[in-house]
Amino acid sequence: MHVAPILLTNTDWRHALLTNREQTLERIYAKVYPMALHYVKERGGSADDAKDIFQEALIVFYEKVVHDQLVLTASISTYLMAICKNLWLQELEKRARKTSLESLPPDIGALDSDEETGSDTIQLKEFVNGLGDKCRDILVSFYYFGQKLEHIAVKHGYRNIRTATVQKFKCLERLRKAVSHLSIERFHL
Amino acid sequence: MRPELEEVKLLEEYVQEKLTEDQQQNISIRLLWDKIWQHKLIAQKTAYKALRLAGRQQLRNELESIHSRLFG
Repeated sequence: MHVAPILLTNTDWRHALLTNREQTLERIYAKVYPMALHYVKERGGSADDAKDIFQEALIVFYEKVVHDQLVLTASISTYLMAICKNLWLQELEKRARKTSLESLPPDIGALDSDEETGSDTIQLKEFVNGLGDKCRDILVSFYYFGQKLEHIAVKHGYRNIRTATVQKFKCLERLRKAVSHLSIERFHL
Repeated sequence: MRPELEEVKLLEEYVQEKLTEDQQQNISIRLLWDKIWQHKLIAQKTAYKALRLAGRQQLRNELESIHSRLFG
């Protein structure tokens, strides 16, 4: 198997993440996670803390590269470790506050932010799951994972991009209807 | 595409600011008075947020699998 070197150019990273997400993420994971583990353990964290922090950093990285067209000016490990360090400092501050306020053990609810675990959030994710596998996959692949419609058309057996586009908007319309009774205030849009 | 889908597409392009300056402005003006469109725009933005959250969850699951394979 051909294994590409870890130092790719910025455009290559974006392309690799879009065309071969799982393998690309695995390569990054294998290379950078041990560094994050070492860093977090040296500063009082556990292996689980390191895993949470590192995965969060990878999610931030993915979204920045794919959606915001982030221009990497340093190596990927430098970039990811900078995010990990910031996230770990934030986590330590959060734990210090929590301990002083409630005298709780420091490992409770470590990384759970309101955005990710609130009941409204769970409800929103349920609406997406409620669309069924096909619509869910088309929409999440396009809007979150940044997949091209050509790729989505092939995967789902559509004749051409036009058909896939129509299907995408049909699915989006269904989701829009499903969430339309929710008010804007509840989700801080 | 049927008109309802064209409208979803138009609002998407409006949110992404992909329309011409005139088109963007026309929709902005319409949104000032058209309560139905206001509501549709809110719902569409909520749909995008739902997709972001669902996508993030899927990515988190994929990373968990990678972790188990490599270091589990």
